[in-house]
Amino acid sequence: MSAKDFGFWLRDFWNDFKRERSGLVGLAILVLSVLVVAFEPLLLPWGEVNTKWRSIDYWQDNSASAPPAWTNAFRGEKLAVTTRLQPGKPEELELDGGVKTVRYDFSYKFSADKPPLDIIVHGLATGDVPVSVTMERPDGQVLELAQRFEQGLQDSDLRISLDNEGRESAFGFVKQFESEEALASITPDAIRSTDIIFNEGRAGMATEFKALKGEYKLSVTAMLLDPAQFKYEKPYVAVSGAVSGVLGTDNMKRDIFSGLVAGLKWALLIGLLTSIVSVLIGVFYGIISAYYGGVVDTVMQFVFQLFNGIPVLPVLIVVSAIFKPSIWFIISVMVIFFWVGPVMTVRSMALQIKEETYIEAAKALGANNRRIIFKHMAPILLPYSFASMALSVPSAIVYESSVSLLGLGDATIVTWGQILHDAMQGSAILNGVWWWIIPPGLCIAILGMTFAFLGFAMDKILQPKLRTR
Amino acid sequence: MYKWFAAKRVAKGIFMYALLIFIMSALFNNVNEQTMRAQINEQVRMESQKLKGMQPTAIQRWQLDRKVQLEHTYKLDRPLGERIVFSAIDTLTFNFGKSTIIKSSQGERQVLTIIGEAIPRSIILFSVAAVVEICIGVWLGLKKAQRPGGTLDRSSSFVTMILYGMPTWWLAMILIMFFVYTVKAFPSGGVHSVPPPAGIMYFLDMLWHMILPLMTLVLIGFWGISFVVRNIVLGILQEDYIMAARARGVPENKVLFGHTMRTAAPPLITMSLLSLLASISGSIIFEGIFSWPGLGNLYWIAVQQNDVPVLMGDLAITIGIYQAGLVLLDLTYGFLDPRIKVGGKA
Repeated sequence: MSAKDFGFWLRDFWNDFKRERSGLVGLAILVLSVLVVAFEPLLLPWGEVNTKWRSIDYWQDNSASAPPAWTNAFRGEKLAVTTRLQPGKPEELELDGGVKTVRYDFSYKFSADKPPLDIIVHGLATGDVPVSVTMERPDGQVLELAQRFEQGLQDSDLRISLDNEGRESAFGFVKQFESEEALASITPDAIRSTDIIFNEGRAGMATEFKALKGEYKLSVTAMLLDPAQFKYEKPYVAVSGAVSGVLGTDNMKRDIFSGLVAGLKWALLIGLLTSIVSVLIGVFYGIISAYYGGVVDTVMQFVFQLFNGIPVLPVLIVVSAIFKPSIWFIISVMVIFFWVGPVMTVRSMALQIKEETYIEAAKALGANNRRIIFKHMAPILLPYSFASMALSVPSAIVYESSVSLLGLGDATIVTWGQILHDAMQGSAILNGVWWWIIPPGLCIAILGMTFAFLGFAMDKILQPKLRTR
Repeated sequence: MYKWFAAKRVAKGIFMYALLIFIMSALFNNVNEQTMRAQINEQVRMESQKLKGMQPTAIQRWQLDRKVQLEHTYKLDRPLGERIVFSAIDTLTFNFGKSTIIKSSQGERQVLTIIGEAIPRSIILFSVAAVVEICIGVWLGLKKAQRPGGTLDRSSSFVTMILYGMPTWWLAMILIMFFVYTVKAFPSGGVHSVPPPAGIMYFLDMLWHMILPLMTLVLIGFWGISFVVRNIVLGILQEDYIMAARARGVPENKVLFGHTMRTAAPPLITMSLLSLLASISGSIIFEGIFSWPGLGNLYWIAVQQNDVPVLMGDLAITIGIYQAGLVLLDLTYGFLDPRIKVGGKA
């Protein structure tokens, strides 16, 4: 089949395909997911998820097991959402003796009914840098929340958790309003600073939370004792709320939406690579077996039956458990077992084609075996295999996730199965952490559905017997 | 004639199984021997602790002797090729050795006992599920084939495609989350309550534990079956003798169940058995989600505890069941379809 013929065939195919509504839906989802993979860096809320999925430091500012932010819509009392604040313009101030201070101002508009769990100030510091954090509340009260002085820093991240370091000053703030008896029941260690900071100042505030909504002004001041050498830059403030992101966080504080987006490319790769390679092998295996016949056929059929008699998933599990594989190894093992799929159908079709007159004519003209197989038989049989290619994608994806679910996946990447494995380990089912369990499985199911739509549509077009119209 | 065909097929199945086990022994030889050596070391250490009143050097010498002796018994001192053959023969004679960690409910360490306990539980769950699936699937498939392109046909085909790539174990997680922890209607896992009740309650209790896993398997399983049944039956309904039967005025139900189903029986039974085999191959780890202590759950535990002998024994048994299923498939097919028995050339 020449390129021109293929073009004609493709146009015919497309004309038929256009009428399959489910096929078009499948195609649309496939295109969409390819676009998501292509524009992944723009979509990821946490850019370094691919390399830092298992790093504890990277996720430490999030809150653990936080539901998705949009669940607030169904909640009477709104919870604070995890956000990041960027500073306004830094204000530098020269002091006597060559000392300089840099002040960064942040503004946090608090409108929830519950306080955030923590507010964390980050900055890159070099040298000996004293940093102080103050906060001005909407009611005009100013709290000196934290002071930190660390020495000998080398461009390292200075992390100040206001929940931890602001306890003393929060306790001091409570003292202004509460009576002696009320204070006797609490200690500075037992209070949560954010409960106080975002509370309305009044008697009884130590025990009951009433949100003081409005704009909170946070200023971070760093004193540069030697402005020539010492530095404090790129500060940001992480507000870790009780709800977070598009799909919440898991118990390791990881953003689940980022994990899902990062897992998509692996799911596509696993599915497509496994199915394309294995179906191609299977088609040529079937053609060769049918074309040569005789002893070759007998031997090839025996090998086929041998592979056909192996349950794939158990073998895949045992092999993964023993060889601790990479993703490429898992894909190769799946190819080794998946190629048997199309062999029987292709062989029986090839047996018919083999007897056609044009094959005989080609032989009479002196065409060699390779030419007949690749030029005359494969082009007719390959289109039929497209449907089985699409239909074997979901099982490849499901098998990989099953192996990952057992904790045997490739530990250097993020896949949906691994997210579900972590969910099982973190007893997400028991705790009802649905945002950790439903989305990854739904992604697997939707991607499987996509390829099922495509596969069944192609099947219908390529095998007219099954047509309903 | 059929006897000859059956004998040939069974012999071929056994040969295939032996070959697969042999390949498996060769492939996993390294890790198997490592575990075996570790077990021997452990045994020698345990035994030498019982020796009293001996010089330390004497104990050491005894330990070395004992180790060599044990390695000889387990044939670890032979050349590689021989070791592989012996381990394959061991596996073929169901001599899987002892587990490293996992114990049976009686506290035994024999892998065969552990697996023997698991097999019936797996078979009960999956075969009951298969029967229910097939009943619903065949019924729905017939309905679909009667009006191809109708509302029922189109909508159920749509659902089939939606469920096509859905992992069974994921649906299991969702159902557990809803039915066990939200509604609190079913137990979270296991076969029995602890302690198991006696008498008729024993079976009711088991049924109660089985409903949720069964429901999960059936909910996902029957759609695919109905789709295949539809295609098979649709093909047969277009045959001339069906038209002839209808023209003769044979009632539609008789056409469907008498004429169509008899012709459709061989492929239908193949498909049913294949779907049972597919669930052994595909949804086996779904048992782990329900802590249903069958073969699939055993994989889960063995992987977590890194118990190599159990893993290997489990794999050998699973392959054996799978092969037996394939043989059974061909035998029933040959029984139902007279053309197969003759064994004509393709």
